Amino acid sequence: MEYLWLKALHVAAALTWVGGEFAVALALAGLPTPRGEAESRRLRALRLWDRTVTTPAMLLLWGFGITLGMKGDWFHSPWLMAKLTIALALGALHGALSGTLRRAAVDPLRSVGSWPRHAAPAIVIGVTAIAILVVVKPF
Amino acid sequence: MFRYPPAAVNPEIVQLRHMRWVSLLEGTTLVALVFVAVPLEHLGGYPLAVTWMGSIHGMAFLLYVWMLIQTISGGDWTWPEILRAGVAAIVPFGGFVNERWLRRKQAGLSLAD
Repeated sequence: MEYLWLKALHVAAALTWVGGEFAVALALAGLPTPRGEAESRRLRALRLWDRTVTTPAMLLLWGFGITLGMKGDWFHSPWLMAKLTIALALGALHGALSGTLRRAAVDPLRSVGSWPRHAAPAIVIGVTAIAILVVVKPF
Repeated sequence: MFRYPPAAVNPEIVQLRHMRWVSLLEGTTLVALVFVAVPLEHLGGYPLAVTWMGSIHGMAFLLYVWMLIQTISGGDWTWPEILRAGVAAIVPFGGFVNERWLRRKQAGLSLAD
């Protein structure tokens, strides 16, 4: 019963985190330079959401995930190692997006570059791979 | 148009302050793992000490690496600085040395404001 609760909270944290990561990725994709006050205000609001909701959800996700892995003795399973690798890559991507958002929100003259355009498709691919690994457990 | 950086809340200074706390946390859990939990397992026969301390340090290490990525993505860090901050996370007591360095970097930004 405790395991199922942990699993449910892990999934809830994952959905919240991925939703927030998508929001940052889409906001930064094709962001104009220089930006007007309205655009900067929208970025600051998104940054507040990222700091207060998305990032804490990621930390909870890690905590629940490690606890689930230990309780279920899953850490020897190859599928989990593959899943962890992808999850860490998505986490690194979120860190890069979040840092870029921080600077973009306060400096309307700073270009964010073109790489955030590729972030949302990368998240879709990562999340799909994770869903397959967790549900199907192919190896 | 608002001014950059806003005088009262330069986000880079806030970011470096958070980074210092996380560096201390990561450094402390690494020291606890290497110098307390590991001896407890090998000399005291308590393998759970490494299991639990390893998990806690794992979380702290992940948080540190994530914060480092977030910090360098928004700031203007050089490659030697990034390398230095990365190495600090895997060397015992490196987190404490790193915290002092981050403090100086933060002070430099505060003066520049």
